[in-house]
Formats: sequence, structure tokens, C-alpha cells
Amino acid sequence: MATSKITRRRGHIAQILIYLGKLFRMFLFQSDWKVLPMAAIIAGLVSFAVGSNLYKTMEGTLMGAFALSCVCVWNGFFNSIQVICRERAIVKREHRSGLHISAYVAAHMIYQAVLCLLQAIITIIVSSNLGVRMPEKSLITPSPLLDFGITLFLITYCADMLALLISSFSKTTTAAMTIMPFLLIVELLFSGSFFNLPQEAMPLTNLTATKWGLTAMCAQGDYNSLPMISIWNSAFKMKDIEIEGEKPIFEIMHYIETNNMRDDILLETAHYNQKSEFAHDPSVMYRCWGWLIFWTIVYVAIAVLILEFIDKDKR
Amino acid sequence: MNITESAIREIVNYVLLSVGYWGIFKKCGVKPYLSLVPFVREYNLSLCADREKDGRRLTIVSLALEALAVIILAQEENSDLVVFLSMFFLALVLTKIIYSTRVYFGLTKVFNRRKSWTWLFVFLELLTLLIWGWHPAFVPSKKVDDPSDLTEAKGLGEDVRGETDGLTVNINSRTVIDFFTKKTLLKDIHMIIPRGHMVLLLGGSGAGKTTFVNAVTGYEKADATINLGKDDVYNDYDKLMYDIGFVPQQDLMRGSDTVLATLSDAATLRLSSSVGLVKRRERIAEVLEQFGLSAVQYSLVDKLSGGQKKRLSIAMEFISDPTLFFLDEPDSGLDGVVARALFEKLRAIANEGKIVVVITHTPDRVIDLFDDVIVLAKDSSRTGRLAYYGPVKDSYEFFGKKSMEEILLSINQKDEGGEGRADEFVEKYVDKVREKVG
Repeated sequence: MATSKITRRRGHIAQILIYLGKLFRMFLFQSDWKVLPMAAIIAGLVSFAVGSNLYKTMEGTLMGAFALSCVCVWNGFFNSIQVICRERAIVKREHRSGLHISAYVAAHMIYQAVLCLLQAIITIIVSSNLGVRMPEKSLITPSPLLDFGITLFLITYCADMLALLISSFSKTTTAAMTIMPFLLIVELLFSGSFFNLPQEAMPLTNLTATKWGLTAMCAQGDYNSLPMISIWNSAFKMKDIEIEGEKPIFEIMHYIETNNMRDDILLETAHYNQKSEFAHDPSVMYRCWGWLIFWTIVYVAIAVLILEFIDKDKR
Repeated sequence: MNITESAIREIVNYVLLSVGYWGIFKKCGVKPYLSLVPFVREYNLSLCADREKDGRRLTIVSLALEALAVIILAQEENSDLVVFLSMFFLALVLTKIIYSTRVYFGLTKVFNRRKSWTWLFVFLELLTLLIWGWHPAFVPSKKVDDPSDLTEAKGLGEDVRGETDGLTVNINSRTVIDFFTKKTLLKDIHMIIPRGHMVLLLGGSGAGKTTFVNAVTGYEKADATINLGKDDVYNDYDKLMYDIGFVPQQDLMRGSDTVLATLSDAATLRLSSSVGLVKRRERIAEVLEQFGLSAVQYSLVDKLSGGQKKRLSIAMEFISDPTLFFLDEPDSGLDGVVARALFEKLRAIANEGKIVVVITHTPDRVIDLFDDVIVLAKDSSRTGRLAYYGPVKDSYEFFGKKSMEEILLSINQKDEGGEGRADEFVEKYVDKVREKVG
């Protein structure tokens, strides 16, 4: 009886193809496709609000890069936060029937990679159309836009795989959606450059996709060569201060402007606020991409490991 | 206050708390000396309160809290790390309060007291524990089972063997370690099921039906030998995996797939890679036809009726033509006519020379379709035991009952509304087998 039937079953590749088919069907017939228009709307809102000074000034670049990193993390989180936990019981049944967890996760990785790629492209198109300046210099590939797109993709994908990990250990969608905001706050707070953190907390910033994404975007946009306007703007607000019947700040600013020295002053103030971690150097870019890929791999590996124990789920 | 004073105060508080715990444990049937052991006493208080799960979490949180307190004390005062860790400390304190409240709430229920006592436990723990522990007016409505006091029904203790190409089950025991406690879920279950038989698996809640199925299919290994024909299910699990079908109670399928896609994917997963595309399609068409799903093959699973979903779920397992087939409540949510039609399909599968084992809670409406019945019962030590295995018609005589529902009632524990005669039938069945095999 049984022994006469013993033959080789289909391997990982065939299983990956089966699950890819299922995922793309879900994309089409369930609400999964909505993440694409949602990415366009979010990119539009962020570009409208904080995109005007990206790659024009130091402050605008930092804020814009941070905002774009947040858009990518948001997209990534929403892509996959529910994908495994919502069908956990089905995965358990299929694992019993011979499903390889690694094949299942690999199918998700491929499918999510396609989603993230599309979202990165959508973000670039929407931002460009709303007048956000794109970087003009590249560091790795011949195309600046390609460098920028790869960075956006890697941030989204890294966040996506983190959400996949949460989804793999959450027993219910409610549990996953409860954890997500907490991680989102960690990603935003520990992005490293945007918020001033105590020195002891700085190592934690290495854990976040926002830090490496923001750094890569600033490095590619040659952050250190951009003018700094916050000091000038602060001085401008105080221009009417009178000292012994005179307005010294106004007079200095007037002098600078009439002698066309404003840009020189802005660059000079920027010179004292340069950040070595944002150096326009390929090694910085490689480092940022490397970290993003590293965390992506770590998240996937842990997700596979956790799902291997899915049989232990309580009945 | 200096350190010595503080330490003395802590010790006195601990001793007085232990006295309170001691009294409650004594009343609830828990070993009183456990009131002296930190963490263990919190867990045992949850047993008194009939809140075991909350007690586990309370114990873990208490342990984590103490560990964190030690780490914080080892740091410099007001350092950044202390501030950082204090955040987690506070979170754990709040968690502990919640779980303690749940346990105290459970105590008020067990002791038939007003729920408002919970507030006193939270805010005046020491005093309330002492009153509840030592005032004779506070009496629990039920006691905690002590595993060492429980006696178990005698067993066969020997494997059964026979010249058969069917299923031979010899389960000595199936145990699990649950929160540092060893629990025996199944014990001493031996039987031979011939091919072509459709078998009913009967048992009350917690009798071990699903554990039995998982042990026999090799999904959760027990201290057992399971043979399908000459093959050892445990040793050759990878090979036999597809020769054993298991249909879960819920319809675990993706609603966004069509019937055909669901079955096609199941076929690709379960059939041998040597089966070509043409043969695979033939098999899919054959199974669709057999389960009456051809007409809806292009419909989405979400659009199917309850009966159709159930048939599809069975078809997914049947696609690999398994020899041994387990179904967990395949008739749940189906009306009598649809359920009957489904069981007739299963009967037809058994008639093909397969072994079909079915768990159902409404067996009497289809009992004429079954050959044998396995009756699992929880004995007085709360272990799943075999109370009967044999032909359906003989089972009525064995239990002295007229229906399967009556049999179920007779073996269920008294606190579950049954007659509590599980031990009697377990021992009677052992005697019957011994008499038969000598």
C-alpha cells in the first residue's frame, strides 16, 4: 500500500510558484491592490507639505528625506502587516500537508518586492510631478534617479519584511495592528538625525530603516554642500530689535544683501554644520544599503524560524 | 528609613503574606508550604481562583519584575539606564496589577463572595489575605485537584499485534510539559482498524480526540508505535505524510481562490512530482466529479455553500488518494440532509478500501454508515483513555445504552453533566480485551 506510492514530492520552486499565484490573485480579488493608490496619496501629501526644500537647503533636505523615509516605512508596514496572521490557520493546515515554510516566505518576499518596487516608482513619479527636486548626482549607478529609487525601495522593503516578521508571530490581525504603531514610533524617533537623542540611545538608531534611508538620501543629495537658512531666518525675525536707537541686525542684513553676500553667508553657516555621516561618498551609500539589506535578511530569517513552529499553535 | 529597617519591614510583610496564603491554600486543597515559595505561591493562588492561565502570566510577570528590580538596583542612582529601565518597570507593575486583579476576581467567584472584595485585595492585600485565609466564614466552593491524589483506571499495558494491512495503533502514552508540569493526555490505547472500515471517534470535551488523531497521523508524536500496513508511521513520516489525509473542522481555504485553483494547488502540493500535467488534470477532474463540485469549479471559494466548502476541504486531502483519512467534525454547521449526503460520500470512500475515521458530535443521525466506534473517555486522573473499540452494534450492549449520545453521557464526568462512569468502562474494556486475546 503506502510504500508503493512513495515518490518525490514537488520542491521549493514549485511551491513558491503556487503561493505567488495565490498572492497575486489576492492582490487582484481582495483589497491588497489598494496599497498602490494609497502610496500615491501619501507621497502626494508629504511632497505637498515638506517636499519644497528637498535638495535645496540643509534643513529642507533633512526634513524631506526624513518624511520620504517615513512614507516608505508606512508603505512597507501596511503592505505585509496582516498577510500571514490573517491566514495563520490555513498555513498551519498546509504545513501539515507538506508546505515548506521557506518556500511560503520566499513567495511573500517576491510578491512584496514587486509591491515595494511599484510603490517606490509611484513615490518618485508623484513627488516629481509635485515639484519636488530630485537628486542631480549619483553615487553608485550612472543614473541619480536609479540611486534614489533603489534607496526608496530598500527602505520600503526593509520595513515590509519587519512587518512580515510581526505578522508571522502575531496570532491575530488585531495583535499585529496593535504592535505596528509602536514600531512605527520607534522607526520615527530613532531615525538618528531628525530628533536629538541622548548619546546612549544612538546605537539603537542602527536598528531603524529610517536612519539608513535618511542618511543615504542626504548623502546622495550632497547635504554638506547645501546652504543653511535657519540662522539667517532667525536673524531676519530679530531684524527690528533696537539697541540705543539703532537696528544693528537690520543694518548688517541690509549690508549683506546689497553686496550680494547672502549666499556666501548661508554657505558659510552651513560649513559649520556639516555632518560627516552625510558625506557625498559611494562608501556611505554602500554602507546604508548594506545595513538595509542586512536587516531585511535578519527579519526574514527570524520570520521563517518562527513559522517553523506554527504546528505548536494551540488548537 | 535605613536599609536594615526597610529589610525587616519587607521580611515581616513577606511572612504575614505567607500566613494569609497558607490559610487559603489549606482551604483550597493546595499544599500549604507552597505559600512560602515566592512566585510559586502566586501561581497556586491562581489555581485556587480557577484562573490558571492568568496565574501563569502573573508568575512570569512577577519574575520579570524581580529580575528588573535587581538590574536597576545594581545601577548608579539616576543614571540614564535606570530612567530607561524604570519605564519597563512601570509597565510590568501595571501588568502585574491587572493579572493580580483577575486572580482576586476569580477568588471572589470561587469563595462565593461579592466582587467588591477584589478592591480590598488590590489595596489591602495583606489584611484581606489573612481574613480569607483564617476566618472560618470564607470557604471555597471547589478545591484544586492534586494530581498525586488522583487514581487512574487500570490499563491493558500491552501492545496489540495482528496480520493486517490496516492501521495498528499502540499508544503507550502521550504527555506534554505544560508550565513545568507533566500532563498525560492519552494513555494505553491499543487497536487494529482493518481497511475498508469507517470508524466513529467518540469522546467528550477534553477526552483527547484531537490528540489521538494527531498522535496516529504522526503530526504530534507520542510514546507509541503506529503502523499502516507494514510501514511505521513515525519512522517513515515523510514518506507516509501524503498517504494520511486530515480534514480539519474549519474550512481552511482561501476565499479569493476558485474551486479549481484550490484543488489544482492542493494537487501540485500533494501529488508526486512524477505525475505529469495531463494526469494531474485528470485526477482533479475525477475528484471534482466525485465530490459534486464540477458545476462550481470556476466559482470563488467564498461564494460556496457550507456543504460545498466542506466537500472541497475533503477533496483537497482526497486528491492524493490517501489510505488513511481523518475528519474532524465534517458535519459541523451542516443540516441533516446535507450531512447525511456527506457521510454517504465518506462511506463510499471507505468502501474503496480506505480507512475513514470521523469525529462528530451528532453521530446518531448517520450511525448506520459506520462499522466501528472508538470511545475515548477522561478517567478520574483526567487522562484520555480507551473505553471501547469495536463494532457499533456491540457498543450498545457494552455500555447498556441505546444511542451514541447516551454512551457519551455515561462516560462524561459528573461535573460536565455526565454519569461519570469512564473508569468503569475503561476497566471493563480492558477485561474484555484480555478475555478475548487471553
